[in-house]
Amino acid sequence: MKHIVYISRAVHALTDYDLQHLLDQSRRDNAENGITGVLFYSHGNIAQLFEGEEATADALYERISQDGRHSHVRKLIDRSIAARSFSEWSMAFHPLAAESFEALQGFLLPHRVPPAPATLPIADALLVELVRLAVFGPDPSQPYHHIVAPTL
Amino acid sequence: MLRQLQAGVATLEGPDLRYSFVNDQMRELVGEAKPGQRVADQPGQLPSSLLEVLPRIYAAGEQYTVKACACGPQHCYDLSVQPYHDEHGAMAGLLLLAVDVSEQEAARQRAHELALTTRRLDARLRVLTETAPLVTFTTDAQGKVTYVSPQWYRFTGQPPTADLTAIWPLLVHPDDRLRVLYEAEAARRVGAGWNFEYRLRRYDGAYRWMLSRALPEMHPPDAPVFWHGALTEVHQERELSEARRRGEAELRFLADSIPELVWTASAEGLVDYYNQYTLEYTGLTKEELGPTGWVGLLQTEEQAAAARRWVQSVASGTEFEGEYRMRRHDGVYRWHTIRARQLSDGSGPRWFGTCSDVEEQYRLRQVLQTQYDELSRAHHNLDTFVYAASHDLRQPTNNLRGLFEELRRSATFADPEQALMLQMVDAALTQLDDTLIDLATTVRTQRQQQEPVEVLDMALVLEEILLGLRPEIMQRGARIEVLVGDAPGLRYSRANLRSVVHNLVSNALKFSHPVRPPHIVLRSYHTPDDQPVLEVQDNGLGMHIDNPAHPVFQLFARQHTHVDGTGVGLYLVQRIVSSQGGHVTVTSTLGEGTAFRVYWTVPAA
Ligand SMILES: Cc1cc2nc3c(=O)[nH]c(=O)nc-3n(C[C@H](O)[C@H](O)[C@H](O)COP(=O)(O)O)c2cc1C
Repeated sequence: MKHIVYISRAVHALTDYDLQHLLDQSRRDNAENGITGVLFYSHGNIAQLFEGEEATADALYERISQDGRHSHVRKLIDRSIAARSFSEWSMAFHPLAAESFEALQGFLLPHRVPPAPATLPIADALLVELVRLAVFGPDPSQPYHHIVAPTL
Repeated sequence: MLRQLQAGVATLEGPDLRYSFVNDQMRELVGEAKPGQRVADQPGQLPSSLLEVLPRIYAAGEQYTVKACACGPQHCYDLSVQPYHDEHGAMAGLLLLAVDVSEQEAARQRAHELALTTRRLDARLRVLTETAPLVTFTTDAQGKVTYVSPQWYRFTGQPPTADLTAIWPLLVHPDDRLRVLYEAEAARRVGAGWNFEYRLRRYDGAYRWMLSRALPEMHPPDAPVFWHGALTEVHQERELSEARRRGEAELRFLADSIPELVWTASAEGLVDYYNQYTLEYTGLTKEELGPTGWVGLLQTEEQAAAARRWVQSVASGTEFEGEYRMRRHDGVYRWHTIRARQLSDGSGPRWFGTCSDVEEQYRLRQVLQTQYDELSRAHHNLDTFVYAASHDLRQPTNNLRGLFEELRRSATFADPEQALMLQMVDAALTQLDDTLIDLATTVRTQRQQQEPVEVLDMALVLEEILLGLRPEIMQRGARIEVLVGDAPGLRYSRANLRSVVHNLVSNALKFSHPVRPPHIVLRSYHTPDDQPVLEVQDNGLGMHIDNPAHPVFQLFARQHTHVDGTGVGLYLVQRIVSSQGGHVTVTSTLGEGTAFRVYWTVPAA
């Protein structure tokens, strides 16, 4: 088992439709592949933690880093873990039409994201908090307006 | 037969050149020309240049072909004229042939238009390539330079006659020349483009950094024959980034030479650089540390708070500072001051951090604090002792004086020397009493100046005192409970309170039971009539309370002779508390433990 954390920038701002499509596809494939974790998206800023079997996780990272929807993909951590910290895979973002998303499986409003699970080593929990801050800004209930340096 | 020809045919008879035969196709050119009509009267679309030469051809009577072109509404024709003769060989007329050349004509027209467009595009391209602030060039597969735009000549100052292929490598900076030639050649060999930078000599002899980019002109499946490219000056950008690179490299060198932990982090708070010393201190690699690994090096209980503080600093951009114990490669924790500040410049905010080892200072501070506590307590005890002793010695002195008066009155002395001695004893007794009074007043006035009364935070003060007793506590494995919730504050002299508690707790530790670790409970509370009390309860040896042979609060009274002690402690406690109007009680069970209760009297404000 391992987990991987990366951050990236969307090439174009993702629409509600794009996000929902990504949510549907990823949830389906991740459930199939035993991948769990969480993805943050706001105003083109992307960060994701996912965990799974070594080979599956590596293959997924390979696919994601080649995905043309985003660029500047930067891996922050790639480490073996003893056990999972997430029970499923979910995605947190600010949809324009929030009402139509609220009932969706695996969707979270950014300020409803629970704090990093206590089973994560402290360094990785801190990492998750920092990338969450980088994506959503200091107040996750507000859509994030300042620009994260693209050199990420 | 003539009718079936895929061409226009007409015959013009006699010297007047009258139409005799006209096929359908020819009608497109000559229209409704009737047999017998003169061609000059009904020329239709026949071009005038042709009409002019027709009589002359007839007159010459020779085989002659003119070429002319005429267009009807639908087609275009090439016209030719030939004389024909009758059966006697005499001149009979002219045969006019019109071959349909519409297709060729259209093609020619298209070619013409294409040429025009090409010329226009060409002109545009030329203007653009010659005015854009970059050099454009073309080389062939052998590396021969077949074109450079005029900017190149302007930049290099070379004459237009220069042999480009030979000269351009000579204008490249000697340090870059081989690399450039090699890279360009390698790209040409595999049919790829290139993208590299080099220094090119300017007209004034200065070398300027240029960016050269070229792509092959592809016509699959053929191998490319030409490479077209552009050369842009990137000197300033390059110098800037060079300076930045140099600055960064120098900074890193500096950071790597310092025996301190130094690191930098991105605007998001993710550490992207640890100096050499950090790796040595932690015994970890950059990868093992990762962007947040530092937090895992702190003492477990301090990690969560430190992580929260860091997130907070990153969110608000405010300085991070704190004292933490950090694990060294050998597992030893040492105290560090961790500091990080955000620097914002043109290239976006970044964090710069240091962790300075303050273990020595920390230790020194602790030792000093303990010694200071020790000293000030000793000093205070001494003061109190002197005060109490001088006070208590006055009683026997007075008794002595009374007895002496009695003696002088009842006894008679014959020897005059003895009278002198009596006088001297009297004087000595007076002096003793005065000295005792002086001593007591001196100490008391000093004490009053030194010891301001203040509202003490019991939790804090007790913790401080216990800190001073840490070696003993650790040594005996004592467990100490502090319960101050009921009376958390007390108006009293800090030094007095310290003396009292210190003595009671060290007593409790000293007289602990040999078979069980000491368990001491400090409880601060109020009596029903609101007097503050401090209770110190232990599970130690216990003592005889009402044994007149072993009084508890007497000077030099000692309950357990097998335990070291001066016998001053409890006496002092009693004196301090009662000097302020309070009192101390004690309950004890031998072998089970003792409880002292100090009833404070709060000094008037
Ligand atoms: C930001 C981002 C996150 C993604 N996360 C996942 C994911 O968690 N699981 C997944 O299967 N695909 C994810 N994808 C999609 C993959 O990149 C890829 O499109 C998908 O796995 C289908 O790959 P395939 O077309 O090669 O089968 C993500 C794409 C992007 C842009």
